[in-house]
Amino acid sequence: MSASAAVDPITAEVISRHLLSISEEMGATLIRTSFSPNIKERNDCSTAIFDARGRVIAQAHRVPIHLGSMIGAIEAIKKRFPEDTIRPGDMFLANDPYSGGGSHLPDINVIAPVFWQGRIVSYVANIAHHSDVGGMVPGSEAAVCRSIFQEGLRLPAVRVMREGEIQQDIMEIILLNSRTPDERIGDLRAQFAANVTGIRSMTGLFNRYGAQTEATIDAYLEFTRKRFVAAVGKIKAGVYTAEDFLDGDKEGETARLALRLTVGNDQLILDFAGTAPQLSWARNIPNQALIATVYTVVKSLLDPDVPTNAGYFDAIDIRAPRGTLVQPVAPAPVGCRSISCGVLGDMIAHALSQAMPERSIAGCGPHHLVVFAGPDPRSNDYFVNYETIAGGMGARPYRDGMDAVRVHASGAANLPLEALEHAYPLRMERYALRDGSGGTGEHRGGMGVIREYRALNDGIQVSLSSERQHVPAPGYDGGLAGEVGVFVLNPGTPEERVLSSAASDVDLPKGAVLSIRTPGGGAYGPARCRTRDAIASDVSEDRLTLQGAEQAYGWTG
Amino acid sequence: MNTVWIGIDTGGTFTDLTLADLSTGAYWFHKTPTTPDDASRGILQGMREILDLAGAKPEAVKFVCHGTTLATNAVLEGKWAYTGMITTAGFRDILELARQRRPSFFNLDVEKPTPPAVRAARREVTERVDNVGEVLTPLDEAGVRAAVGELQRLGCDAVAICFLHSYANPAHEQRAAEIVREAWPDVYLCTSSDVLAEFREYERFATTTVNASLLPIIDRYLERFERGVADLGIPGRPLIMQSNGGAVSPDTVRKFPINTFFSGPAGGVIGAATLGESAGVPDVITFDMGGTSTDVALIKDGKPGKKSVREMGGFPVRTRTLDIHTIGAGGGSLAWVDPGGLLKVGPKSAGAVPGPACYGRGGELPTVSDANMVLGRLNQTALLDGRMPVFPDRARAAIETHLCERLGIDLVQAAAGILEIVNVNMMGAVRVISVEQGEDPRRFALMPFGGAGPLHACDVATMIGMQQVFVPQRPGILSALGLLHADTRADFSLTRLALANSESIGVLNAGLAQLADRAKGWLATEQAGKADVVYEWHVDLRYFGQNFELAVALTSDRITLGVLDALVERFHQAHDQVYGYRMPERLVEIVNLRMGVTVTRPLAPDSAAVATSAALSDALIEQRPVWFPSTGFVPTPIYHRNRMPHAITLQGPAVIEQMDATTVIPPKADITVDPVGNIMVQLPIEGKTA
Repeated sequence: MSASAAVDPITAEVISRHLLSISEEMGATLIRTSFSPNIKERNDCSTAIFDARGRVIAQAHRVPIHLGSMIGAIEAIKKRFPEDTIRPGDMFLANDPYSGGGSHLPDINVIAPVFWQGRIVSYVANIAHHSDVGGMVPGSEAAVCRSIFQEGLRLPAVRVMREGEIQQDIMEIILLNSRTPDERIGDLRAQFAANVTGIRSMTGLFNRYGAQTEATIDAYLEFTRKRFVAAVGKIKAGVYTAEDFLDGDKEGETARLALRLTVGNDQLILDFAGTAPQLSWARNIPNQALIATVYTVVKSLLDPDVPTNAGYFDAIDIRAPRGTLVQPVAPAPVGCRSISCGVLGDMIAHALSQAMPERSIAGCGPHHLVVFAGPDPRSNDYFVNYETIAGGMGARPYRDGMDAVRVHASGAANLPLEALEHAYPLRMERYALRDGSGGTGEHRGGMGVIREYRALNDGIQVSLSSERQHVPAPGYDGGLAGEVGVFVLNPGTPEERVLSSAASDVDLPKGAVLSIRTPGGGAYGPARCRTRDAIASDVSEDRLTLQGAEQAYGWTG
Repeated sequence: MNTVWIGIDTGGTFTDLTLADLSTGAYWFHKTPTTPDDASRGILQGMREILDLAGAKPEAVKFVCHGTTLATNAVLEGKWAYTGMITTAGFRDILELARQRRPSFFNLDVEKPTPPAVRAARREVTERVDNVGEVLTPLDEAGVRAAVGELQRLGCDAVAICFLHSYANPAHEQRAAEIVREAWPDVYLCTSSDVLAEFREYERFATTTVNASLLPIIDRYLERFERGVADLGIPGRPLIMQSNGGAVSPDTVRKFPINTFFSGPAGGVIGAATLGESAGVPDVITFDMGGTSTDVALIKDGKPGKKSVREMGGFPVRTRTLDIHTIGAGGGSLAWVDPGGLLKVGPKSAGAVPGPACYGRGGELPTVSDANMVLGRLNQTALLDGRMPVFPDRARAAIETHLCERLGIDLVQAAAGILEIVNVNMMGAVRVISVEQGEDPRRFALMPFGGAGPLHACDVATMIGMQQVFVPQRPGILSALGLLHADTRADFSLTRLALANSESIGVLNAGLAQLADRAKGWLATEQAGKADVVYEWHVDLRYFGQNFELAVALTSDRITLGVLDALVERFHQAHDQVYGYRMPERLVEIVNLRMGVTVTRPLAPDSAAVATSAALSDALIEQRPVWFPSTGFVPTPIYHRNRMPHAITLQGPAVIEQMDATTVIPPKADITVDPVGNIMVQLPIEGKTA
């Protein structure tokens, strides 16, 4: 491309360093000024910079499912607002997956143009997960929703700030629709503050490098593309297919995900034809979540250090037929897409693994989601506690899967239980690795987690969402699948009951215990090939009982 | 008369020593190779040598202060003690669950760190306390005894006791500790409420187990060091530098080795703060650039910023440290071309071996030092006052072979590119540390030290828009010098989650009293006289519902309604200053109480003015072409710093060489040498700053 011929590889690298540092500064501002534990403790937010055409030029890594996911919001703004109607100091927000380029409703995008010498040269943007934006369930995210209208307030791209002035009318609509309006104010103000930081630093960058800045950014994207193409060239060209299954509309049913991957000619083509029609429950994967998962898995397997920008996004062609669960149409519900994306990520990894068997990764246990809500007599207030609980990673041909981690595109942290018990009328009874949940094999799958809560007063209700409670994470090359996940009420008592894999408004009366057991990852290679040292270490570490070791590996000490 | 003070800074390659004789005002400096197998051996040898050099008697030594990297290296290399953990039933995996995130989102092979207490050595005991400190389930004392037996059988060397909510009520941890001591008197032991009485269980447990795992290591080391110092005939106990910038007795370090992780860098920051104050430059950003990494810190009004959590070997270690930001780039950072054709610098380093190509020790890949060599910024014949020959042709060959061809650019462009890229990284670090503290870096002077700091400082400052660069007289040994200026200091903290209203006053005062008790115990260990003790109190506050705290000074050791109101008002102000807004209608919550105790010492004398020749021309070594970003190559006078007259002014361009550093000053900059030999550079104002 001509752009890189005109721009030297040094200026391009220097400007890319500036861009990365600006996106990091924005992230630091957002996290430091936000209110909700979800953003502050769990860092469920991301910051990014776009060029004037709306291409991602830098993104700070907080949560991979936000990778590229602000692109749609910029497109939505460009569609609704002609450029000559946008003024310095304007900001926009959007969350709707169908009209605002959102990923699911709790993720609110806030975007601001950067003006230099009288015109828009860039956009700065950030996304933050708000713990409640209304809808039928507290937390605005439950697999049981049947329509996006049940999931909460839908915001197309709207102008929330006009030349530096907050549009209070829009704020009032958002606040009235949330169960926790105070948090929403704090978090939205933090999002505005992050963009103010970004605008200031981007203006400084353009002042410093002048008119050549945009051409240099173009060149930087081109350098990124070349780097990615080099990585594509190192794996086997060809056509590969893969499939996997989500839990379906009814308990025990499944829904098929299908992929045909073409590697060659300096690009990847991912065609999802053959995927099941969209579901009536909120496991559908909207476009922004689909591309984020593709970008994440491809980067992880091909070149973990490739810069996260449009340079490599543009070398990936994604084809998803409309009306399928990877390209749903309105009003399909999408709230729980991040759990479905765990399974989607496994399928993409499976297809890629065939082109690069030495670096493959077996199926993973996706996180489970739980939302507690109810009155808190200690503060006379209504509380909503949204938590995601990690599963286990799949094994690779040369190593065991990692225990208790978020996988693929997901990545938010847990809530410390000492913070939980301080903030909500819940007590943790147990928080542990789930022994035996990783698949058995030469390299075992990563273990899932057990997390058990006791309700401390009446009136608490729970909604639950999950995947891989029916279809386990597959093992590769003779390795066994991981254990499936399960929700259990009052374990070890006469009232013990297994709950549905997706449920809302489950009553958790005072004293009741909810046990969440997340799925483990699949193994790689047959169990007979596991080394004696590895088995002995698992036994000495209590990860395997002697009896379990004998059953799984024929181990007799 | 006991008038001699000695500072010792152990680095990866060299140990730096400084000796000050208060009776004459004379300073002595010495370098000796570090002995990694047992650092105390090299140090004691160095002490013998510097005493000889100064002609001082061991009996005359009043004060020895030591900056150590022992605990840091033990963690980074995993060479810690086999550690057992006794914890609340149901929660032994907290250390492995961590925060449930992958350490790297995209590199799937970066593991969570292996905790010092492996699963087999983590034993559960029935007990439970809630978040306000009420006992829900009493401690199972027989269970503690059983756990001791199991940990003994496993061969543990140290034990950490970590119970949930022990910051709110430490009784169970204390009782369990008594039981362990009775049954196992010689084991190394610590409790989480003693090490870190703050909430958030993973961070507290990780900090405590890391501390426990270092107890035997640090104890054995200090044993050898103290005995060695005594054998030299030096009276009194040596002190050890902590990450918080205070020096304390070996007995305090024996309890909390985690407090020494940033011992060496803290010495540099204290040195910079002291030097800045005495030179009338109290607002400084330090820039300590070495071979593989660079530390930056912000000093305002002579006081370095502090923070409460640092990552160490993948663990969040919560201790009070000077707020030092480290980036993995230095003079040895390698330059390379990525698969897309971009020039990259770091994070890999050529290290001490094989080192930069120009050192001629076998390194063939281009580094930042090689770029400086090609651009005429480093002496073209030898470094270290002529003791270390260098090979500019090898620097050129390395850059040409590995970069020029692939990038299609010439030698000078490539070398200049390496400098610009590494300098942008430095700029990022300075900006982050400023933004985090709500400061504008342009109001500060940049103070470079370490071997490579003065080579890059003027360019980095120009990029940021900073106008002043202050180069200490001896940039290479500022850390060792800082050790002479350290006060004795300890920090204590306690979580008390409570709304800032009249109902909480009782709880808060009880908390402050607990902190005062702990301070009293520590002062006894330090054998400090009452007269020199200074107390400071801080409270971490947040808006109710927020999850991040701001530390605000508390002006009294007793809280009344008036004190509380004033505290809350200062919190609103601080929030406004740092984040740009306040929420006066919102409830304010107290999270942690903090107490800092400082035992001040008389100041070390300023380094005395050294008599130098009268004329600048005497200091001129040569003229050589040197490259600057604003001009390219220009003929530049090269001076030897030791021969430069003091209290003069001159103009850039200039390169000033000395044994331990090279200072590069661009054209049009105004240079002032102060009466003791420090250099203040006033940079020309550049229109284009980011």
